[in-house]
Amino acid sequence: MMELFRALAVLAEPPTQETERLAEVLGIGRPPAGDEYAELFLFQLYPYASVYLGPEGMLGGEARDRVAGFWRAIEAEPPAEPDHVAVLLALYAHLAELEDQASSTRQKAAIGTARAALLWEHLLSWLPGYLDKVADLAPEPYRRWGEVLIAALQEEARRTPLPQALPLHLRATEALNPRKATSEDVSQAVLAPLRCGMIVTRTDLARAARQIGLGLRAGERRFALDSLLAQDAPAMWRWFQDEALEWCQRHRARDAWLPAIARDWAARAQCAADALGRLRLEAAGTRPAGTVSSTMAP
Amino acid sequence: MTLHDLSERVSAARKEVESRGETFYPGPSRIHLASFPPKERWDDWVELDSTAWPERKERHFTLVPTICFNCESGCGLLAYVDRDTLQIRKFEGNPEHPGSRGRNCAKGPATLTQITDPDRILYPLKRAGERGEGKWRQVTWDEALDDIAGRIRRAVQEKRHNEVMYHVGRPGEDGYTERILAAWGVDGHNSHTNVCSSNARAGYHYWTGIDRPSPDFANAKVVLLISAHLETGHYFNPHAQRIMEAKQDGAKLIVFDTRLSNTATHADHWVAPYPGSEAAIMLAVANDLIQRDRYHREFVRQWWNWQEYLAAERPDLEATFENFEVALKEIYAEYTFAFAAAESGVDEAVIRDIAEIVATAGTRLATHSWRSAAAGNEGGWQVSRTLFLLNALMGAVATEGGTYPNAWNKFVPQPIHTPPHPKVWNPLTWPLEYPLAMNELSFLLPHFLKEGRGKLEVYFTRVYNPVWTNPDGFSWIEVLSDESLIGLHVALTPTWNESAYFADYVLPMGHGPERHDLMSYETHNGQWIGFRQPVLRAMRERLGQPVSDTREVNPGEVWEENEFWIDLTWRIDPDGDLGIRQYVESKREPGTKLGIDEYYAYMFDHSVPGLPEAAAAENLTPLEFMRRYGAFEIQSGMDPVYQQPVPTAELEDVRENQLGRVFTRAPKSDSPNIVPQASPEGDDEGRRPVGVTVDGKIVRGFPTPSGKLEFYSSTLAEWGWPEYAMPTYIKSHIHRERLDRDQMVLISTFRLPVHIHTRSSNAKWLTEIAHSNPLWIHPVDAGRLAVRTGDLLRVETEIGYFVVKAWVTEGIRPDVVACSHHMGRWKLDDSHQGPATATANLEHRGSNWHLGRTHGAGPYQSDDSDSSRIWWTDVGVHQNLTFPVHPDPISGQHCWHQAVRVLKAQPDDRYGDVSVDSAKSRAVYLDWLAKARSAEQHSPDGTRRPFWLMRPLKPPKEVFRIPGGDTD
Repeated sequence: MMELFRALAVLAEPPTQETERLAEVLGIGRPPAGDEYAELFLFQLYPYASVYLGPEGMLGGEARDRVAGFWRAIEAEPPAEPDHVAVLLALYAHLAELEDQASSTRQKAAIGTARAALLWEHLLSWLPGYLDKVADLAPEPYRRWGEVLIAALQEEARRTPLPQALPLHLRATEALNPRKATSEDVSQAVLAPLRCGMIVTRTDLARAARQIGLGLRAGERRFALDSLLAQDAPAMWRWFQDEALEWCQRHRARDAWLPAIARDWAARAQCAADALGRLRLEAAGTRPAGTVSSTMAP
Repeated sequence: MTLHDLSERVSAARKEVESRGETFYPGPSRIHLASFPPKERWDDWVELDSTAWPERKERHFTLVPTICFNCESGCGLLAYVDRDTLQIRKFEGNPEHPGSRGRNCAKGPATLTQITDPDRILYPLKRAGERGEGKWRQVTWDEALDDIAGRIRRAVQEKRHNEVMYHVGRPGEDGYTERILAAWGVDGHNSHTNVCSSNARAGYHYWTGIDRPSPDFANAKVVLLISAHLETGHYFNPHAQRIMEAKQDGAKLIVFDTRLSNTATHADHWVAPYPGSEAAIMLAVANDLIQRDRYHREFVRQWWNWQEYLAAERPDLEATFENFEVALKEIYAEYTFAFAAAESGVDEAVIRDIAEIVATAGTRLATHSWRSAAAGNEGGWQVSRTLFLLNALMGAVATEGGTYPNAWNKFVPQPIHTPPHPKVWNPLTWPLEYPLAMNELSFLLPHFLKEGRGKLEVYFTRVYNPVWTNPDGFSWIEVLSDESLIGLHVALTPTWNESAYFADYVLPMGHGPERHDLMSYETHNGQWIGFRQPVLRAMRERLGQPVSDTREVNPGEVWEENEFWIDLTWRIDPDGDLGIRQYVESKREPGTKLGIDEYYAYMFDHSVPGLPEAAAAENLTPLEFMRRYGAFEIQSGMDPVYQQPVPTAELEDVRENQLGRVFTRAPKSDSPNIVPQASPEGDDEGRRPVGVTVDGKIVRGFPTPSGKLEFYSSTLAEWGWPEYAMPTYIKSHIHRERLDRDQMVLISTFRLPVHIHTRSSNAKWLTEIAHSNPLWIHPVDAGRLAVRTGDLLRVETEIGYFVVKAWVTEGIRPDVVACSHHMGRWKLDDSHQGPATATANLEHRGSNWHLGRTHGAGPYQSDDSDSSRIWWTDVGVHQNLTFPVHPDPISGQHCWHQAVRVLKAQPDDRYGDVSVDSAKSRAVYLDWLAKARSAEQHSPDGTRRPFWLMRPLKPPKEVFRIPGGDTD
């Protein structure tokens, strides 16, 4: 399995001539083109754990520090981008190989613990949702890449004992408070996956504009979102609420093999949906009767 | 297909592709969790030819390690040698190198442009016309060597040993050429160090007996740097990467630099003091630690020579540590934050903050000072001395995260032959006026020659360019042009330089990948050796084609120095009757010339602990191991040597003096590591110092007379400088009190991070990045002068002026201007080109000199098509010509900072103009000479110099005695 992870890691890097051979071996059809790589990984779905596991939904910060801390904990020097999916997958392959080659039971157990920690803390904590979006948006080669990767991760989850606690990333960042979140909180949170339980890409914003009939201003996501909210906030809150509810279902669908993590992400999406519903009503001038109830709490 | 099957399929494909010697995954990438080709694949490494894109064309390389020859940090390089063409295609970092760990600065990969420089010197040349006329003819190596060797032989036979001199820039090796000079019996080593680091060295030397610091940056809690160019301009790669590691672990970085350097931009605290005030700030920080009892009391009690201080300076007090602490508080009480603020122009609160941070560092305080502030100022040696005072107060000496003396983080193996030190003393380099000089008074040579102190029969400049690098370059031209003062000038250099124009022979020497050298540097808390080797020679040998002379594989007739010196030495004494030849003879085949393989094999077999075993584990000889990997780490994580107990076997007929210094009759153990350090004298009965008693135990201590850290220097006190016996503050020659109202301070010592003096100017990549040296000037000063960026300014020094462009920036403090000395290269004709060299016109009337620019750089046709693409013309200004010599009266260091007047350019001024009156430079020389305190008046024992101080070549003690002087 480990060579598979390494090959999948290579495919998350910009395509080279070696990628052609790998695409063929992996049976993912034609090799991805450079512009496809750029569109997916540079403009839509940034392949860094910190984007999906940090409270601001941005590169770096505490989430990257935690990943770097993992590298240090196993006495490896963190690379320049310790949370890039390619490096994480390659590290996973490396640890699994070391585990196989371990000369003593004790050593094997120690490396196995490290591998399990990497899997649950820094891979399964975000990649399933991320790969959902890959399936939505990616061109054929990368869609196939995502399918193979999620299958491989599922297989690894199956053979690796469940951890006792939620990943620290998830414990360290709270979901939106459905009762108290202000419109500013929510507008910040919808672009921070861990805060709202969903991943919103540039394409998603374009889709929202199209569906609602708003003008989309070209620019980075925050700029485009602010523009959309300025045009019709209630409609946008409504649109995001529907998205959040859909994400809630997506996460719940993984409950069988990823119980705690899936439930946590689903709860985040539900909280976001609740908060968005309240904002939508407030923006429309209708105060909801009583308090908003959330059926799930993270 | 199952996932398992898919994985197996990938594995099989990988195996199949790699069995063909091809790469399956893309080259070095993060997928391999390393940035480097794995070493097991260095013999046949495959990469795609980028120039063939989009065609997929594979090229096979053998990766051969060597060591960079640009700056002195000795970073590892991997040469990618094309297996088809046997040409070097590129250089990358060597991951097996313990110091640089695979990383390089821009200068490393740019080595490729140095070896392929179309204008480099490829053949031995002999002057055809008058010196400096620019006419040359190609000669054979034999002709040149026989001529030079004959002159040296006659000088030695006629007891004119002091007429042979070797003037070296950064050596890039550890002692090879010093041993050659020792074999000849001449005291002719003349290093550039007194225009470089002598002041910093002096500060460290008086404390520890070792003249360089080695901070353990990576493990520090607080990193305090005075001057930044060490970390961004010169040794920056090994240090910078470890400073960044420390920062990532939460360390605080404090940088003192009047200029906003690259290092300063990364600092938590950037402090820009008035130049020369740095020691005052250090003393204020020290005073705060002392007055508030925040120092490591036990360390100070055990390791400072406070008893000696009390005995010498405070005989009124009982010799107790408590009394010393009281005295210590009195000594430094005047150095308040307010005092330091007034001297430095830095806000008092900032200095207080710095003191607070230092106080929290504990023993993890890593400090460093090298050139800049130390090299700029009269008394600059107190900058490093007061900086190390902080380490000494905190106990952060040879601790994890603290600062080590470099000798414990460096390894110099015993060589195959060790000739004795020369039995002569050369007063041209070690004059009586400067008995405490840390290094040779190299930059005073023109003045000494002019005033008849001696003359030179053979003068080598070795990869060194005194006309351009040293102050007072026109005085250098005057003596280099005078054959009655310098009989034969031999320039050993890979590329043309301003001094080589005034040579009789210009001999082409190899760049980093064209020569052998062994190096070790204090990059971190460990000991390693790095092996520079001629890459194509090593490559040929791997292909089963032995090479016995590096000229066979180097371009043209470029030679390596190791073989050159052996051959020259052999010719000086072809029959062995002078006793010289024995030091370049083979041990395997006595009577034959020593070969390079034997020279290094002997060292690696006998003198590098652990190397034979590491090599054997890979079925290699130690030499083969070093040729394959280029470096070896002997030890990492050194223990504090000073605390090591002295073994009983070394304690024989022991005596202990009243200060606890322990002497023994047991012979010194034969350590394989011959790293230079001071050699304290033995007792009057012939015992040698072996350690020091601390709390009843005999431990190694420091190589100082007292065996302890010398807070109090009896050497300084006894040799005429009692006022500086302790770390203190000396007001610089550019102190505000000494400047006229219309004068400013010029900082001239800083580097451009991608350049390295003369060596890098023909590296086209580096020169494209940086090729000018405008004058940094603060907007306030620029406003006063009504100048904007790009306007011409005239900068007047004591002896002349230069004309330069302004760069208005807040990166420099007001009242101070700065100009990097890295630029301003010139040549007198168009016979050769270069991306960083202007063509100039040199006029000379009496003592008045004028250098005017004819034209700057520009495109030209050559074997290298890039030379036709040179888009810049500005190559900077040669400011050093306008600086008179400023020898520090104690350390002998040239004090670089200048008091200048900055004016708008005159109507006739042209960019790059340099005008100097060398008669004025002589007057300044005499003014500074008068500050010195000569050994003739101040030697306490009738000798020329304290015997224990370090000295590159160290004559026997009897030669130290002043001729005709006191007999004690």
